[in-house]
Amino acid sequence: MAIPQEWDLTGKTAIITADRRGWTPHLASALAEAGADVAVAGSENSDMTDAVSAVKKLGRKSVAITTNVRDAESVNSMVSTAVLELGKLDILVNNARAEFGKRFEKVEECEWDTLMDFNVKSMFLCCQAVGNVMLEQKSGRIVNIGSALSVRGLWNSVAACAAQGAIHQLTSSLALEWGREGIRVNSIGAGWITPEKQTEESQKELLVRYIPSRRKGHPNDLASLLVYLASDACDFVTGQTIFIDGGVLAHA
Amino acid sequence: MLEEKLSLEGKTIVITGGGTGLGREMTLAMASAGADLVIASRRIGPIDEVAQAARDMGRRAITVSTDVTDTSQVAALMERALDEYGKVDVLLNNAGIVRGKGAEAIWDISDEDWRIGIDTNMSSAFFCSRAIAKHMVERGQGKIINVSSGFGYRGGRDNYMYAVGKGGIVQLTRTLATSLSRHGITSTCIVPGFLPTTGTDESNITLPRGDFIPIGRVGRPSELGAVAVFLASPGSDYMNGEAFAIDGGGLAGGVAPTGYAPEIPLEI
Repeated sequence: MAIPQEWDLTGKTAIITADRRGWTPHLASALAEAGADVAVAGSENSDMTDAVSAVKKLGRKSVAITTNVRDAESVNSMVSTAVLELGKLDILVNNARAEFGKRFEKVEECEWDTLMDFNVKSMFLCCQAVGNVMLEQKSGRIVNIGSALSVRGLWNSVAACAAQGAIHQLTSSLALEWGREGIRVNSIGAGWITPEKQTEESQKELLVRYIPSRRKGHPNDLASLLVYLASDACDFVTGQTIFIDGGVLAHA
Repeated sequence: MLEEKLSLEGKTIVITGGGTGLGREMTLAMASAGADLVIASRRIGPIDEVAQAARDMGRRAITVSTDVTDTSQVAALMERALDEYGKVDVLLNNAGIVRGKGAEAIWDISDEDWRIGIDTNMSSAFFCSRAIAKHMVERGQGKIINVSSGFGYRGGRDNYMYAVGKGGIVQLTRTLATSLSRHGITSTCIVPGFLPTTGTDESNITLPRGDFIPIGRVGRPSELGAVAVFLASPGSDYMNGEAFAIDGGGLAGGVAPTGYAPEIPLEI
């Protein structure tokens, strides 16, 4: 069977930001499988290289661009390099995120700043820099990889949750501003997702109690939705955070 | 891989209200993704036509005339589906009415109007879910997809049965997910904004026109197809109890003229 034609990303070019969590190769592969060429931007410590090999293995063009996503100049040069290498930019996936858990009274100022810069300011910088290209071509798709923590609180996670709340609202507001310029801005609200191999043991009691679907998710669980939100098919979907969380938010 | 994830090949899907409007578009999209269909609606003419279109694509399709507010007819619908295919993989609760007798002040709504409105927009989804849940539990798998509306999240002026019923659909979705997930059943909800069809023509006057929608146009019914296929397919297996809005940005902001907000210089 054929996938709906308007989901096809053949001839489109994407840029995805990388981090240390190991989701990037899976998400980049999803875009590549659908036909896109994918630039991957991140630090030397990120999963950028793995993502590039994954895309190339699928027969698509890929390029690694060493980038500090917290720095405007670095992000601007990331965009120029990507456009130079791939010709244009149709899709931006803001995937880079740092995990951080600590009791609030112990959070240091520099930790707060680093987290906000890496998780939130990076999205501002990437949206603005890639957005300038998209505004010119009057089309584009931006997908912010967010979290269920954008609407739920969590212990030891004041900073992480505050950052997610910001991403949630960045998504809705930017969607409105660029809605008439052919740009769609959406977010995937991920639940408890891990790229690690999941064992019987790791899915046990604790998870079963808190996740209605009774398992942790894998980045591949986000793949189909990511492709949809990157495609022409999603032209009437914008400003949304669509949660894929195994039912966590539906639960009490 | 993506093809497998989005394929509905070999899946049996029951859809209510599949003959006209958004239901028709979703049914045709699911047929083209490979699904075999049971299409229900009160009026048989339109669903027969859609079923024929599905058969022309090489799918199996049957139609069952059903009033989804009548639980004995709902039971008969599911029996018929199981007789024909031996299983149901996906239930798409789409039947509903935009508004029964038009917008009305609260004091003009009779007991009967209220009951009919709530039955059609909300209880019908509960009845159909209840009628097929045991079968899905026995198989240890199944997907229930409901159709809410932007009015399920926002109030609708003088539109009580629709807004209240659609809000209930969101909660039905969450409760099904919370209750049935342990049996391998997921539940999700489509939240369409304004995608005019012949069924909504009369009410266009009070619904937001393209200019009030952030992206500057109303939706095309066919745009709902891809969302229905996604939610019915294995690609959405980890999506559970959640809603998928397709509304041109309506819920992201509000119904307000685009661009209506001042620029304010930053001072601290």
